[in-house]
Amino acid sequence: MTVAELLAIAPLVFVIGLAIALVVVDMIRPHDDRLIGIVAVVGLVVGLEVVLLANGDGTGVFGGAYVRDRLTFFLDLVFLAIALLTILFAPDYLRPRGLPMAEFAATLLFAISGAMLIGGARDLLVLFLGLELLVLPGYMLAGYAKRDGLSTEGAIKYFLLGSFSSAIFLFGLAFTWGYTGSTRVADVAVALQGVTGPGLSAGLAIGLALLTSGVAFKIAAVPFHYWTPDAYQGSPTPVTGYLSVGPKVAAFALILRLFVEALAPLKADWVDAIVILAAITMTLGNLVALTQDNIKRMLAYSSIAHTGYMLVGLAAFAGAPAGSPAAQAGLEGLLFYAAAYTFMNLGAFAVVTALQGRTGVTSQIATFAGLGRRAPLAGVLMTLFLLSLTGIPPTAGFFAKAYVILAAVQAGGWVSVLAVVAVLNAAAAAFYYLRVVVWMYMREAPDDAQPLTDSWPMKAGLAAAALGTVLFGLVPGVIIPTAQAAAQALLP
Amino acid sequence: MTLPQTVPFLGWSWNDLLFLVLATALLGTALMVVLGRNIIRSGLWMIACFATLAGVYALLGTPLVAAAQVLVYIGAISVLILFAIMLTQTKGGPAALVFHHQAWAAAIAAVVLGTLLALVVTSTEWPLAGEYAATSVRAIAQLLFSDYVLPFEIVGVLLLAAVIGGVFLAKRDEPRDEPHGERPE
Repeated sequence: MTVAELLAIAPLVFVIGLAIALVVVDMIRPHDDRLIGIVAVVGLVVGLEVVLLANGDGTGVFGGAYVRDRLTFFLDLVFLAIALLTILFAPDYLRPRGLPMAEFAATLLFAISGAMLIGGARDLLVLFLGLELLVLPGYMLAGYAKRDGLSTEGAIKYFLLGSFSSAIFLFGLAFTWGYTGSTRVADVAVALQGVTGPGLSAGLAIGLALLTSGVAFKIAAVPFHYWTPDAYQGSPTPVTGYLSVGPKVAAFALILRLFVEALAPLKADWVDAIVILAAITMTLGNLVALTQDNIKRMLAYSSIAHTGYMLVGLAAFAGAPAGSPAAQAGLEGLLFYAAAYTFMNLGAFAVVTALQGRTGVTSQIATFAGLGRRAPLAGVLMTLFLLSLTGIPPTAGFFAKAYVILAAVQAGGWVSVLAVVAVLNAAAAAFYYLRVVVWMYMREAPDDAQPLTDSWPMKAGLAAAALGTVLFGLVPGVIIPTAQAAAQALLP
Repeated sequence: MTLPQTVPFLGWSWNDLLFLVLATALLGTALMVVLGRNIIRSGLWMIACFATLAGVYALLGTPLVAAAQVLVYIGAISVLILFAIMLTQTKGGPAALVFHHQAWAAAIAAVVLGTLLALVVTSTEWPLAGEYAATSVRAIAQLLFSDYVLPFEIVGVLLLAAVIGGVFLAKRDEPRDEPHGERPE
């Protein structure tokens, strides 16, 4: 390994090292959850610094298998933010239930290192390994409350369907490799130049179909979403928060590296599938979310709907002519959406976690009754996150939706129909998000309502999530240039 | 005595005949694994399945992968699985398989998908097809530690993560002296 190679993977190595360090700390001082939390948080802040320092120039290392370009940079920051927020609000849930912090944090960081590997991978094999490193710890986290039947059930379903989808994805990779003769993303893109059109060979077509199905499983797009509600409802709440953001954004990173970079020459062949997936994912996710009384299940279906909005950005890229501003705007919108969604969705889950700071609090929406008066600050924050998820200005969620919808309009053709579908869906989604607000402010709290937890990590996590949600909404300029540079790195 | 260039009467190359035999055995043993009701027998059929797969690898010109298949899958994993079955099996388990409610739908889907894949594979011109390329162990080793060193190392991280997760899920809950996970001041 050369110095340039080590520098390029420095953030990745740092996160893996931090995960191992947490296990070692737990070995030296067992059950010291507070120490683990401090080490993890300080480590992740240093990790952000490492990402800023290791800023590469976009030349491939390891024979072109990995690259540290502006996209890797953007994604690494998002992944580390996901890890940081999750670790900040997790202790309030884990501690009262006697669940250890060390294994949780270490496993989470292993998953994040998988996500970071995907973010910079430019080799089909590395992409697949990154995907496995991302999801394998996720299965274990879903079953983290191992004495809880629902948690184990969700984990088993997630594990089985996740393994099958990985196999389907790998099968697709094998077909692509067999056709192009290379595992390097750059070589695959070159080999695929000029093979598009009605004469697409059957082998390549089925490879594309298998890859699309495998990826659709990972981002939980309808009709590949069946594992989502059970896995999300059963998992411990901080894990649900992580699962709804981390693997989803990482799977979109996989799409960017695989579909946008390697399979871009075939985009005329896969754009229709993405348009259809986006439309039904948004619509079905929102429609089913309307009927949910369990807040975790509701947020699970809502996260499916958000997958649909992000797919609109991808469809805008694929539907627009190559090199047009709309193509780039679609990718920028997708990246901005991923960052905004990270903060607003994890924020909402942080409030749910704060409510469940004592054992025995269910995830029913009724637990939010009177929250606006019982805990005014938590009520205000939850309202902020829900408004952002709905897409009300001036929150991050509004800009994210506007970005992808405008890109879809610019792309024209069938893709602009998606813009209409997305707007209609955003309106429908307001019903179930605002229903929680109604419970918080217009219902009386039950007499036996438990007070919320009040620890400093939870406060810090809520503050960070709220800051991101407000900042990206009021001053989107703080992140748009980074997203633009990341999107440009993807385009030739 | 030397063998004729091609299989007598059929005109195939010996490699093709060998592949046909191995592939049939592979499919047959794989079916025995999933169709059997006795889990120990399924485990034994799985060893046969792994062995034929090693034969396929050897035929494809990758002796290293074939050797790894024999050492790792037959030597270690199968034995481990058989031990796990023997140590965990209870007499009171269900005689019928629990997940067999949709067997017919699954069988139809499998046949349709299999036919589709067979049609696809035969109708596509694969750029890499044709030669039984022999790869030397030295060439693989050099690739593994130069261009492919990143995936090679990541597999180690993946295994470490899996071990930590597996140990956590499998270990008995140890009594915590103090439920809030903080040390007394």
